[in-house]
Amino acid sequence: MDNIAGRTSALNWIVQISVVALVALWLFPTVGLLVSSFRTADQISGSGWWQSLTASEQNLTLRSGSAAEQELRDGVYIVEGNLFGTVSDADISVWGVTSRAIDSYLPGDTADLGNGETITVQADGTYVWSGTEELSGRGQRVFATATTPPEFTLENYETVLVSGNRTDSMTRAFFNTLTVTIPATIIPIVIAAFAAYALAWMDFPGRALLIAAVVGLLVVPLQLALIPLLRLHLEIGIGKGYLGTWLAHTGFGLPLAIYLLRNYMVGLPRDIIENARVDGATDFQIFTKIILPLSFPALASFAIFQFLWTWNDLLVAKVFLIDATGQTTVMTAQIVELLGTRGGNWEILATAAFVSIAVPLLVFFAMQRYLVRGLLAGSVK
Amino acid sequence: MKMKLYASVAAVALGTVAQADGHLAGQQITVAGPWLSPEAEIVAEIFSIFEEQTGASVSYVGSDSFEQQIMIDAESGSAPNVAVFPQPGLAADMARRGFLTPLADDTADWIRENYAAGQSWVDLGTYADENGEDQLFGMFFRVDLKSLVWYSPENFEDAGYEIPETMEELIALSDQIVADGDTPWCIGLGSGAATGWPATDWVEDMMLRTQPPEVYDAWVSNELAFDSEEVVGAIEQFGLFARNDDYVAGGAGAVATTDFRDSPRGLFDSPPQCYMHRQASFIPAFFPEGTEIGEDVDFFYFPAYAEQDLGAPVLGAGTLFAITNPTEGAQELIEFLRSPGAHEVWMSKGGFLTPHTGVDPEAFIDDTSRRLNDVLLNATTFRFDASDLMPGAVGAGSFWTGMVDYVGGADAAEVAARIQASWQAIR
Repeated sequence: MDNIAGRTSALNWIVQISVVALVALWLFPTVGLLVSSFRTADQISGSGWWQSLTASEQNLTLRSGSAAEQELRDGVYIVEGNLFGTVSDADISVWGVTSRAIDSYLPGDTADLGNGETITVQADGTYVWSGTEELSGRGQRVFATATTPPEFTLENYETVLVSGNRTDSMTRAFFNTLTVTIPATIIPIVIAAFAAYALAWMDFPGRALLIAAVVGLLVVPLQLALIPLLRLHLEIGIGKGYLGTWLAHTGFGLPLAIYLLRNYMVGLPRDIIENARVDGATDFQIFTKIILPLSFPALASFAIFQFLWTWNDLLVAKVFLIDATGQTTVMTAQIVELLGTRGGNWEILATAAFVSIAVPLLVFFAMQRYLVRGLLAGSVK
Repeated sequence: MKMKLYASVAAVALGTVAQADGHLAGQQITVAGPWLSPEAEIVAEIFSIFEEQTGASVSYVGSDSFEQQIMIDAESGSAPNVAVFPQPGLAADMARRGFLTPLADDTADWIRENYAAGQSWVDLGTYADENGEDQLFGMFFRVDLKSLVWYSPENFEDAGYEIPETMEELIALSDQIVADGDTPWCIGLGSGAATGWPATDWVEDMMLRTQPPEVYDAWVSNELAFDSEEVVGAIEQFGLFARNDDYVAGGAGAVATTDFRDSPRGLFDSPPQCYMHRQASFIPAFFPEGTEIGEDVDFFYFPAYAEQDLGAPVLGAGTLFAITNPTEGAQELIEFLRSPGAHEVWMSKGGFLTPHTGVDPEAFIDDTSRRLNDVLLNATTFRFDASDLMPGAVGAGSFWTGMVDYVGGADAAEVAARIQASWQAIR
């Protein structure tokens, strides 16, 4: 009597807990990336993103104003100010004046720098650097152990989205990606829908072999065809460009599309189609009036697949599209470029990743209810 | 040339950016290279001078996978006009397969006359073509200096350390720092798929400091086997630093896992994790934001052993321009790189060194760059990064992984034997 209504079995609990655990496991890196996208490069390399969420104690190297700012007051040369620049919420617990002893003094203490110079630092970072002779050189280094509140910045998003000449290239890359993605999604669907109908409902010799061939093509890796295909494109005059990229994406996407749609269409009730035939409908009418509307979930699920795959594609775009004129850069290539020559700009990468995720997320949430239905109906009978 | 200069002077006088000469008007010159931002923007600026002078339009596209990209493009016949190679090895490979076009006849003479140690730059850019004939294919533009140690002058001052003049003094200083309870070195070999390359620079530097340059050259061409005594000795010299738990921040175990981009930050920590960092002249790009070169951080020449009497050897690397798809404009673009102006634009942005002796040193962004360039110009021996000259499977493969194994505790002779075996396997 374990599974009567209103009670949940132990097994059920295990399932739910594992689901939560798996979701957490999946989301964990994404959350880290999101947090990182709001931090500066120095923060990212300085401490983990999980530490950035709460106030943390850090060892900081700060510098007072330079000797050029000194004033003469009652025979003493003085430089005053705040080590944090402006007033901050930081709280200094100990400090020092050499890298060898960073915790020699408490807030309010006065450190003797020799030559009649002293420096006094308060807990909030205000300092007075004074000397009996004229001060010289750069600002005095102060090593402080301070508790600083969490600090986030929108700078990275500004860099990626609106600043400098990157704006043009990012916007251009965005529209280039759209130019690649939309036709590269629609063309294979149209072709595959026709082919799938023929393979599912039209009788002709060799049909089974044709289906087997399509399934066989699923296992051919696209890397195999890259250079021969590009050569072919150059020979027949397509060259590097959008047309070639659409054709390549179409070719690489078709086997899966035909296979998926054909399996779905085979599962549609035979009676409806036979009735339509008896009533005198042609194959084309059956296809457009009956099959297509009924196959919508399968079409939508494949569209999502193809869209995400072409949106995130770098390899095909690099080979077939991006030429040396630089006018046809796509988002993925642009993001790699943002990483910098030696791949050090992690903060920009994290940010760009979230910018590029936006559209696929939108597409996914708009169409996700078809995804599961289309997949299940297509594969499991 | 004179015509062009005359015309550009006229254009400046008129205060316009219109075509100065325009004999290449309408020509599109495409350039591909490994530089991404921020270098890509500087390159574009340099090319814009050329555009003004000639009326041609130049477009530069950078790629982080340039090595693969240029191969795909060349094989399929869609190569850009000009390619910027980060490694001579790759250019030599492409020349042998007939994908490169020789540079104008007078280029070699010009380089000999106008580059410091000109002949070595000509040699580095000369490869066999598909018929086996040696021709000049590459012109070097932008050089990186590798034999440098970065340090924080203020930390040295706080602790009372002096800059070492010889390798013996450097080791003595390292011991001194250990005795004072600190860690002298920050070493990081991590670099994604290229993990291990910083160690190859160490070994090359040690090679130049323990063996005469001829032995180094023999090593590069594998006339001297990788597992020979000389090379194993150089690897062990590197181990003296990297495999010493007292010498390296985080202990020897951290060397292979620390990213080379993060490793110099130890210099700036409070308290400092380390006092010295041996890395090439490009590394300031990875110092924390706001770091002032020459004030917060400075460099000294990675010294040679006084007792070995090998002079002041300098290890470097550089990028070279080569023509992958010949047009009139492409040849002229290479010729344009001879003008001091092309070098000075980048000198004024930092991170750029040049062997060109005709440039105005005043154009350097700061004193540090000027001093760096002096190291380059004053070197008694200049040698190119060996791993860049070795075949890819070794120089960008087994040498890298072998060094990671070595710092992980493997025996130097064993590692060297394995690298030699991988070299033999590709012949």
